[in-house]
Amino acid sequence: MHSVEPVIVVLLMSCLAAAMAAVGVLPFRFGRPHQGWIGGAYALASGLMLGAGYLLMGRGLDEGALPAVAGVVIGIGYSHSIRYFAGLEALDDEAAKGRSEYGYKLILQSVLHSAAEGVAIGVAMVVELKLGVFVALALAIHNIGEGMVLADQLSPHRARLRQAAALAVACKVSQPLLALAAFALSPVLTGFLPSALGFAAGALVLLVLTELLPNSYHRSPAVSVALIVGVSAGAVVLLESLLI
Amino acid sequence: MPNTVFMVLIYGLLTALATGLGALPFLFLKELSPKVLAVTNAIASGLMLGASFGLLREGAVFGTPQTIVGGAAGIAFILVAEKMLEGREVAFGDLSGRGARPILLLLVVMTVHSFSEGVAVGVAFGGGEKLATLITLAIAIHNIPEGMAISAVMRSKGSTLAACALWSIVSSLPQPIMAVPAFLFVDTFRDVLPYGLGFAAGAMVFMVLMEILPGAYESGKRSTVALWVSLTFTAMVLFQKLI
Repeated sequence: MHSVEPVIVVLLMSCLAAAMAAVGVLPFRFGRPHQGWIGGAYALASGLMLGAGYLLMGRGLDEGALPAVAGVVIGIGYSHSIRYFAGLEALDDEAAKGRSEYGYKLILQSVLHSAAEGVAIGVAMVVELKLGVFVALALAIHNIGEGMVLADQLSPHRARLRQAAALAVACKVSQPLLALAAFALSPVLTGFLPSALGFAAGALVLLVLTELLPNSYHRSPAVSVALIVGVSAGAVVLLESLLI
Repeated sequence: MPNTVFMVLIYGLLTALATGLGALPFLFLKELSPKVLAVTNAIASGLMLGASFGLLREGAVFGTPQTIVGGAAGIAFILVAEKMLEGREVAFGDLSGRGARPILLLLVVMTVHSFSEGVAVGVAFGGGEKLATLITLAIAIHNIPEGMAISAVMRSKGSTLAACALWSIVSSLPQPIMAVPAFLFVDTFRDVLPYGLGFAAGAMVFMVLMEILPGAYESGKRSTVALWVSLTFTAMVLFQKLI
């Protein structure tokens, strides 16, 4: 990998992660999956993102405890308040079904969500290319779950499969953009690395808890949610200590 | 040697007593509305999620495959325990009825996890790398949020403060009991440790995600729950890095 420019690695990995959202649409080729599966997709996305958030938080704290904690708190606060200002705070995708504002709010939520992921990938790449690739891969699989969720939300509107796939990826465009921006800022960022890591971690963890996990519990029995989230988050945490 | 064994036991007991301090923040909690329930469950969830990820990492230091095996066993343990308790009337201490079952399970999980922590204390003493007092202090402080997690759940179901403190301490008693043999037979116990840590992590994470967190979402606003879980999760991760 040393022959490849690091910035190309960032571009390729974050684009790969975004593109994986289209893969989540594929199961709809064979009809709309049972809601339990959609809950499972949410759970998988939750576990991987929680694991990634934990890793970034740990890295940040290693680099500097106080600035990292400040970063986490700002990340949590940012994620919470942007949802509040965008009117997404009370967005419950079960309760809101059928209302007219439901569609655009979902798209808005998805775009804001992937922006946080982009920052996470970019910052992780600044710390260490290997860590960045690892986080991007975790979020790539996570995006399969999110693509599936979006396709499910579009299916009552009779969207074509290709359109659903295109929209799922389009919602993720902010991901490579912000990953590249964060990486480009690395000379500035290195001074604030613990805070930046903390920020990304806080944003990810809050998104899991406010958005993904509750939606998962709505659709699947708590046992399955617990199993999927526990195993996927545990896999991210343990794999990182093995590989990096 | 016998003198040191005695010391390990005393230190272990002190760490168990520290768990009772976790009940203190709930001294003034009297009103038991669903809102309060959501927050206390969210606090317990965040603390335990952070703790279980820490256990996984610690286990990985001693052996990742063993940690994974232990984790799977921990999840299976909770599934079996749930099945066995299902539909049964449970009553203990000042709690009974529907609220008692998840709390009993929580106490079982925390007690079982204390076995692994006791082994960790003993192995650390035997390793002789750090000062005994320092390790004990670390474990003792580390036990306080665990007592908080237990007390948060118990208090919100109407337990008295004394009962919260008592059951928190009981859940930590395996620590001194396990620390002594682990200290005496360090090499044997070092091999078992990753299984134990993995088991504790698996059981704890599963318990949180299956019982406590869904309970929090059911009784409160999701954004409030999310904020409390994220913040206490962060506090626990920070706590483990510092200690």
